[in-house]
Amino acid sequence: MKKRYAGWILASPATIAIGLFLILPVAATIASTFGDEKGLLAPYYAFFNSGFRRGVLWRTLEISLATTAISLVVGFLTAYVVAKSPGRLKSILIIAAVFPLLTGVVVRSFAFLILLGKNGILNNFLVGVGITDQPFSMLYTQGAVIAAMVYLFVPLMILTLVGVLENIPEDVVQASASLGASPAATFRQVIFPLAVPGLIVGAVLVFTGSFTSYATPQLVGGERQMVMGTLMYQRAMVSFDWVGASTIAAIMVVITISVVLAMSRIARRLNPMAT
Amino acid sequence: MTTRTHPLLILFTVLVYIFLAGPLIIVFGASVSDTTYLTFPPQGLSLRWFENIFEISAFRRTIVTSLELAFLATGLALLIGIPAAYALNRYRIQLPTWLSTVFVLPILVPEIVFGFSLLKSVAVGASAPIFLALLIGHTLIVLPYCVRVISASLASFDFSVEEAAISLGSPPVKTFFTIVLPNVRSGVIAAFILAFITSINDVSTSLFLTGPGVSTLPIQILAHVEQFFDPTIASVSVLLMLLTIMVMAIVERTLGLTFLAK
Amino acid sequence: MTLPLTIENLTAHYGTTRVLEDLSLSVGAGELVSLLGASGCGKTTTLRLVAGFLEPTAGTIRLGGKDLTKLPAYKRDIGLVFQNYALFPHLSVLDNVAFGLKQRGVAAAEREKRARQMLDRVGLAQLAERLPGALSGGQKQRVALARALVIEPPLLMFDEPLSNLDAKLRVDMRVEIRQLQRANGTTSVYVTHDQEEAFSISDRVAIMNAGRIMQFDTPEVLYQRPANAFVARFVGFENLIPMRVSRRTGAEVTAEAPGGVALQFSQDKFGPIPDDFVLATRPDGLAVTSDPNVEGLPATLGLRTYLGRAYQYQCETEAGALIANGQLSPPLDIGAGAKLVPVPDQCCVLKPEHP
Repeated sequence: MKKRYAGWILASPATIAIGLFLILPVAATIASTFGDEKGLLAPYYAFFNSGFRRGVLWRTLEISLATTAISLVVGFLTAYVVAKSPGRLKSILIIAAVFPLLTGVVVRSFAFLILLGKNGILNNFLVGVGITDQPFSMLYTQGAVIAAMVYLFVPLMILTLVGVLENIPEDVVQASASLGASPAATFRQVIFPLAVPGLIVGAVLVFTGSFTSYATPQLVGGERQMVMGTLMYQRAMVSFDWVGASTIAAIMVVITISVVLAMSRIARRLNPMAT
Repeated sequence: MTTRTHPLLILFTVLVYIFLAGPLIIVFGASVSDTTYLTFPPQGLSLRWFENIFEISAFRRTIVTSLELAFLATGLALLIGIPAAYALNRYRIQLPTWLSTVFVLPILVPEIVFGFSLLKSVAVGASAPIFLALLIGHTLIVLPYCVRVISASLASFDFSVEEAAISLGSPPVKTFFTIVLPNVRSGVIAAFILAFITSINDVSTSLFLTGPGVSTLPIQILAHVEQFFDPTIASVSVLLMLLTIMVMAIVERTLGLTFLAK
Repeated sequence: MTLPLTIENLTAHYGTTRVLEDLSLSVGAGELVSLLGASGCGKTTTLRLVAGFLEPTAGTIRLGGKDLTKLPAYKRDIGLVFQNYALFPHLSVLDNVAFGLKQRGVAAAEREKRARQMLDRVGLAQLAERLPGALSGGQKQRVALARALVIEPPLLMFDEPLSNLDAKLRVDMRVEIRQLQRANGTTSVYVTHDQEEAFSISDRVAIMNAGRIMQFDTPEVLYQRPANAFVARFVGFENLIPMRVSRRTGAEVTAEAPGGVALQFSQDKFGPIPDDFVLATRPDGLAVTSDPNVEGLPATLGLRTYLGRAYQYQCETEAGALIANGQLSPPLDIGAGAKLVPVPDQCCVLKPEHP
């Protein structure tokens, strides 16, 4: 009898904590958006009827999709080189990717801020070299936010994909060569297809991370590049429109969870190593 | 492999790493500049912006709060996370599969939504003290790391070793501490470090749970940047990077740096 | 198409450790040669050098008239069968087999036809659309074999292909491999640590140790006339007794074992016998007798184990610990004295290891 409940007893404190402090509050937030006196879905009508808010959602999707696409390409090529490097160099390259990852979002966003600012280092450099004679602000543009997000998420992508590439058995790659496939053909026909499930995992991590981010768009994009995260903060803490903020929260939850579920289903179907 | 990497690909990788390291090097340079504005390369050499951190009381207070939070939240998360991870591995057959999904939820739910929900339900709804709400928030965001990392360690632990100890007369609870825990030591250290760093750096969850009285260091940095654009922030950033280096050094000492590569 | 493989003076290093030393080996066209040895003996290194996955520090590898030494792996045209099968997990069985044909620019319809024919030959035609993950170990190995054979390579190489299969399947598969190899007449190099497997499948076997070939010959010669103590021990000559010649009369030689026992040898049978030599026997080649009048090595019998067809005795002698199988009934007592008599038909004469 004691044995039968041991698992439950040990797992219960953490399970209860998650239920009580995560599931319930988030459910309450989502629930608060329904059953407004103006109608069941009134807050959502309000959100999607506002051109500005629709614009924010659209911009956020654009930024996170662009960030994901760029990070995928940059991360995959870099991870390929890292995974192929000899032992010692490989650990140095991996550590060099871990360091930024362990350094917080705020510090790294701030670093990008001083790189891009009007008196920023990039401007001084451009003026100094004579590419432009007027310093111009690169801050508060969509491009700046995307660049900062790519900067933020590339290390994560590199580390995820190095792991994926290292899981591809060496003898499978050798088998390909022994059958006459050139390195380029092996890359296209063997390595890339085997990395696709990992690419999907990386893409999900980057997409959800950038879609729900706050600090980076706040610092680098400001009010001009408002995204879902900063809009939600503004609704909640500046306008005290908690229903509006909860609506944004609910939309974020629905989008992230559907992306995660859809992609993990695709990844599972594409993963030949799972069987 | 005998095939060589294309030179263009190598050049590309070098550029990526410059892109990754560059901004952090600039922050480091700007932090020791003797100017009142942020500049790189540094003009003059001074540590006065580091001193300045500690002259601003908001930084002094938030550094303490952040450290307290990180230690307490990590400790609490390990306290409830280790038994959970153990249960999920040892009693896998008895427990329903959805239970392990529950432990992924804190990662699945956007942190910023979680923070806002805690504000509504716990801080305002239950009028809990801000620090308590922060502690709950941080404990929950680091909990999945603890459960996952320790589960990974336990997955490679052979539970028949535990049964052997029990058959030799060691009581189950004692066996857990003398046999199981020492064998997943590296997992516990890794979980501690990951959780600690995650807590110290957290913005999105803390964002809604801080007020004029209590705040965390990253939130204070955000607030400071919006008002002043001086090298103090660069200095604080350098302090946080030093913390990262310290953590990596601890990992290297205890687990070897290859551990980070996993 | 089938070509001879010639390896000359091959030397290889891992970092600063030398793993292969001045190795030369010729495999005739259509011949199956095994490289046999314990792990770390250099057999797999040799295979990987020939395949082009490692670069030698010195030496040449030639296939027919063509020098392969500097050629990248994908241009060598060698069929490889890997220990872990190394099937492409994302491709169907059919696409796995057709992969090499695709690299050679064979049109889609033609390569499907040839891949299906090859799958038919290995008995897997009905599994063509499956993914490798859904196959058993034996089926995977057949796919790997089909994949290597379908490109009709002038050289086939096997890297411990059966070591992940269970005992029964191993025997079936090695017969199958041998039949396919014979039918195609493809020159083959087969790496294994399993002596029975190597001897049963090969035309010739190279026994390797510490990066060198100790002996390269037919299984029959290796089994009956090992050239040195290493090979002798490897093929089961567990008793090595140092001997010294005391008298020569014509072809007859009298030699003494430690402890002063004299034994007779005929050079007609053993070939020229040097003054110092080592007499090697298997446990079956040492008769055990309790008759004190027989001339033989005096021994004290230690542990006795029952083998079914005989009793095996661990014996203490002046020549050291020896193992003898006595077909005796009733069994001899442990601790008793006995005589060990080498059976001439089952002995061989070796040069001493340290001359």
